[in-house]
Parts: sequence; structure tokens; C-alpha cells
Amino acid sequence: MRTLLTLVAILLGLAMATAHAAGPPPSDEVVSDISTREIAIKSNFAGIEILIFGSIDFSARPAPETGAYDVVVVIRAPGQAIVARRKQRMAGIWVNGPGVTYPDVPGFYAVLSTRPLRAITSEETLKSLGVGLGNLDFGRSSTNDANEQSFRSAVIDLKERQMLFQEDDGGVAFIGRSLFRTSVDLPANVPIGRYTADVYLFRDGQAISENHSTLKVNKVGFEQAVYLLAFRHSFIYGLIAVVIAVIAGLIGWVAFRRE
Amino acid sequence: MFQVYLPIAEMSVNLLVMLGLGAAVGFLSGMFGVGGGFLLTPFLIFSGVSAPIAVATGANQVVATSVSGALAQWRRNNIDFRMGTVLIAGGVVGAVIGVLLLKVLREAGQAGLVISLTYVALLGAIGGLMLAESIRAIRRARAGRPASGRRPGQHNWVHGLPLKIRFPRSRLYISSIPPLVIGWVVGLLTAFLGVSGGFVMVPAMIYLLRMPTNIVIGTSTFQIIFVTAVVTILHASLNHSLDVVLALMLAAGGVMGGQFGVRAGQKLRGEQLRALLALLVLAVAARLLFDLVLKPEDLYTITPVLKGA
Repeated sequence: MRTLLTLVAILLGLAMATAHAAGPPPSDEVVSDISTREIAIKSNFAGIEILIFGSIDFSARPAPETGAYDVVVVIRAPGQAIVARRKQRMAGIWVNGPGVTYPDVPGFYAVLSTRPLRAITSEETLKSLGVGLGNLDFGRSSTNDANEQSFRSAVIDLKERQMLFQEDDGGVAFIGRSLFRTSVDLPANVPIGRYTADVYLFRDGQAISENHSTLKVNKVGFEQAVYLLAFRHSFIYGLIAVVIAVIAGLIGWVAFRRE
Repeated sequence: MFQVYLPIAEMSVNLLVMLGLGAAVGFLSGMFGVGGGFLLTPFLIFSGVSAPIAVATGANQVVATSVSGALAQWRRNNIDFRMGTVLIAGGVVGAVIGVLLLKVLREAGQAGLVISLTYVALLGAIGGLMLAESIRAIRRARAGRPASGRRPGQHNWVHGLPLKIRFPRSRLYISSIPPLVIGWVVGLLTAFLGVSGGFVMVPAMIYLLRMPTNIVIGTSTFQIIFVTAVVTILHASLNHSLDVVLALMLAAGGVMGGQFGVRAGQKLRGEQLRALLALLVLAVAARLLFDLVLKPEDLYTITPVLKGA
């Protein structure tokens, strides 16, 4: 009996030891959140600034290592299909040439980091995570063809000018040792949908932890009603628009008539 | 301040700018009896609204300005309702074809180019002709001869066509084919360019049908209401490109401007009115031509793929 108990104790001890050995080594974790979980687009919507903040959790290790920590934050809206075209001169006027279709271009994409991305980690790591404007594939396999590349960079350039693509090398700031924060300006032309906010923690070029949260951008109230009516009952929407216009015309005539 | 979000265009615009734009276009509309869309559509595009939304919303706004314009004209007994009905019949057919044509061209990515070229050709030709004619009329008036271009009893080829109808208000007895064709072309232009087509209809009715200028303006304003209403509904249904919030702001400005325009128009002589309209039309054509010929700042454009395309 005693030997049996001893055997069980040894087996249990072994099992626990193996379980512990197979688990990941104690590592730093990143936790984060967004200042708002839902953005409501109303009639006074002229863009909004959102705040992403978080901290590195050192509690898994007895004493935190000193080392260069880097944080990369990626905000991404659902993808949409777009066509890019280049104008060419024909008979003295500028004409749209054949288009290139990209089936999956994020409606909004912002990447913010503590340092330039290339200084944080290798190009391969960035590519595998899909981090950085240059590492987006837009749902179309990239070739090294110069023509194809010029279309890609034109898409990125135009989206950047509309503030729909953003890259900020020093956008994430540490407050003390473990707290960090960053802010992103969503312009008024942001698409609606479920956005994702991915926060990556890097140490010595390795992504050691990540944290994901979501953000909903929705039209609400009158704006939502108009949007739904326009897309689901478009004929009625058109009729209502005409009736409103006729009433506006009548009001104008009655108000300004002096006869 | 005064920023308003547009639910369909998905952008934020300034309320005062849009009211002012509506008022300016409404003023010209009332003054000349044109819908003003040929100014409104380009200006909306300049302020960042996408071309399809500018076209559909412009058409909707023209409904409002032409309703108050037509009421003011009706009080002055300037509408030939029988002629208006014939024009509307042709206009509705043209509108359907125009909306479908625009859909096909958008999918091919050539809508902007074809729209601009059509604008330049039409506005350039009509503006040039009108300017030349009105300068001759002004010179004749200065020389002391009667300024009126209408000589009763003078016939042209239009009078040889069949299906004649009597139009008592215009004092005409002519074939219904030319008004039907004019209405058809106008409907096509409304749907396709987001214009009321007044700049085609007014000279065509003056020079081709030889209707009196005041009745031409009243009747065209009346016809514009119906054709732009049909175009608005068609664009809303087929292209989902109508922004009612934007239209409302433009309409509010437009009806105010329209009333002042009608009064300003009464103070000007017919040939002076035509010369001013001609200059305006030529200025817009020149601007559009420059945009086509000058190297664009951006060689690339991106557009969302249309759903169901």
C-alpha cells in the first residue's frame, strides 16, 4: 500500500514536472484596449480621434528583464474591392487606361509604432504578420513587375492622401516602463464596419505577445435610416427625395412670392 | 463649425458652402430658365463629392429649383403646357437610356472622360452659336432696328414634318416630332450629365421651333421638373448614388436664389440674357477642356468596384 502511494506521488510529480516543461517559458504579455468600442456616425461626424492604450504585464517573471521593448499597433477596417487606373495621353487629352483590380484593400489601415518598423524587426516577420503599408497584399499576389508595383504604390499613395492609410513611426509612446499609448485620427470618410486593433509586443526583434480588440464603426439614428433606406428600398428613397425637393420648391415659392 | 456628415457620400461638408452653392445655382436657374446642373455637377465634384453622387444629387436639387421657378413662370402665364407634355414624353424615354448608359460607362471606367468630352462639345457649340447670335441681335438693337429674332410667317424645315399639333400658347402649328426629339435628348443629358438640359432645350426651342423666348423659359422649367424627378428615382434605384442630405442643403439654398434670379431675369432684355448665358456656358466648357488637356496632377485614380458589376 505504501509503495503504491509512493508510486502515485512520483507519477503525479513527474506529470506536473513535464507539464511545466512543455509550457512556454515565462514571457511578458501585452494587454491593451481602445478608448471606445463603438463609433457612431451622426450628422455632425467630422472624423474622430481614438486612443489605444495598454501595458506590458511583467508578472509572469520574478524580475523584468531590461531590454528594448517595442509596440506596434495596427488598426484595420474590412477590405473592399477597388480598381486602380492610370491616365495616358491620347490625341492630346488624358484618358483612363486599363485598370488593375485589387479585391481586398482595407477600407482603413493605420500602423503606429514606437520606432521605424525596420528598426524593430525583420522584413520577413513584418510580412508574415501583414504589418506595414508595404506588406499589404490587397488580395492580389504581387509580382516584381515594375508596372504592377507602380499601381500598388499609387493605391497606397492615394489612400494615404485621403487619410485612409496612415503610418506613424513614432506614434506609440511609452509612459514609464510598462504603459504605452497612441492615438489615431479616423477621418470623416472612414468606411463603416467592424475594425480590428492588433497590438504586437516586440523584444529584440521577436514578436513575443499580441493582443486583439475590435471596434465597430456604425451609422446611427437618422444617418443609419437614410443609409438603409437608400440601399434596401431604393425606389421609395428616390420617391421621398423627389417629394422633399418638390416641397422645398413650393416653400421657396410661397415664402418669396410678392404678388 | 457647420460641418454636416453626408450618409451616402460618406464625407463631411460645410453647411454654409453647400447652401451658398445651391443659392448661386438657383439664382442662375431662375434668371435663365436653365436648371443650373451644368454648374452644380462640376462644382460638387470640385468639392470632393464623387461624380455619380454629384450627378444624381444634382438632378434631385434641380427638381426643387425648377418647381419654384416653374410656379413663378406659371404666374406670368409663360408655360405652354401642351408643349411641355410632349417634351416630357420624349424626356422620360431619354432618361431611362441615359441612366443605363452611365452605368455601363462607369463599369468600364470611362464615365468621367465621356462626360467631360460631351460637356465640352455641347457647351462649346451651343455657347458659341448663342453668343454670335445675341451679339448680332444687340448690334441690330443699337442700330435702331427691331431686335426680335422671331419673324412670324418665316418657315424652316421643321414645318415640313408630319404629326402636326397646334400649340395655342406658343402660337405655333408644328409637327410633334421635333419637340419629342428635343425632349429625348434633354432626358438623355439629364440622366447622363446631371444637367437639366436647359442649355440645349432653350436654344433649340428658340431657334428650331421659333417659340417666343419668355414661353421657352417657362416651358423648359416646367419640363425640367418631371425629367429630373424621373432621373433622381432611376439613379437612386439603379446606382444608389443619391445623397438626400446633400440634396436638401442644396435645395434650401436653391429655392432662395431661384426667386431672386427670376426677378433679375425680368430686368434684362432677351438678347442680353442670351449673351450672358452664352458667356457662362463657354466659361464652363473652357474649364472642362483645360482639365482634359493639361497633364493631371494625379495620373492614377482609384474607384470602388461597383456592387453587382
